[in-house]
Amino acid sequence: MNCRECAEHLYEYLDRELTPELEREIRQHLVECPPCGEHFDFEKLFLDFLRARCRAQGAPPELKHRILRELFDE
Amino acid sequence: MATPTPPRSPSTPPAPPPPSPAGEADKRASFEREALVHLDSLYRVALRLTGNSAEADDLVQETMLKAYRAWDQYQKGTNAKGWLLTILRHAFINEYRRRTRHPETVDLDAIEPFSVFEELQDEDPQGTFFDRIVDDEVLRAIDQLPEQFRETVVLSDVEGLSYEEIARVLEVPVGTVKSRLFRARRLLQQQLYDYAVGMGYIKGSSTG
Repeated sequence: MNCRECAEHLYEYLDRELTPELEREIRQHLVECPPCGEHFDFEKLFLDFLRARCRAQGAPPELKHRILRELFDE
Repeated sequence: MATPTPPRSPSTPPAPPPPSPAGEADKRASFEREALVHLDSLYRVALRLTGNSAEADDLVQETMLKAYRAWDQYQKGTNAKGWLLTILRHAFINEYRRRTRHPETVDLDAIEPFSVFEELQDEDPQGTFFDRIVDDEVLRAIDQLPEQFRETVVLSDVEGLSYEEIARVLEVPVGTVKSRLFRARRLLQQQLYDYAVGMGYIKGSSTG
């Protein structure tokens, strides 16, 4: 595993979409190569940030009432 | 509003058994348990697709009505969220997109976003500037993405679907999901980086 191959799988690795073997190879490379490790840490931080900022919003309560009324004539 | 139940479509084959009160109650219970629990997810996706809350409300309501009508076709206990999102997306494409946003005419393959990580090597390699960016700014940045990127990033990062599930909802190969996700996230980073530079949170290497 070299740096280029490692970078190609960056998001698949962070999204847990790789086979266990490939995941292990990348984890090994990240331990041995601090620059790649820092890059992955940065991207992971970004994804965590993105998810934290976007998942808070929910449907307004009136919408749920409207749908229940429409579906079940309540 | 006491509207009478609409008659069943004459083209629906074969005629289902007449609804017994118990059957209807079961249907309602399973729909509430498996479908209505995803209301927040559907709303978040609808909001990002349509770009405004009134349209998002209508789109979600329509999705739920269609889903309830087709509930007998849904295999209980499988991926209800994916099934509902597929219905929502079809409804959006067929009825809303023409009225709200227009599909892109830009060449998405030509978009080559730079790496923000490399830009920040000297100044903020740990990305601490992200902490200063608020929710609304992130949502605004998502809304500015081209539609194909926006829907991919919303299904992945906002709703947590796997690549396989996203591919099924968007009806594209998994490889397309990967490449769109890569570009979408890079574009988002770039926009948030530009915003942070504009706000003075970071200096940015291009100006230094």
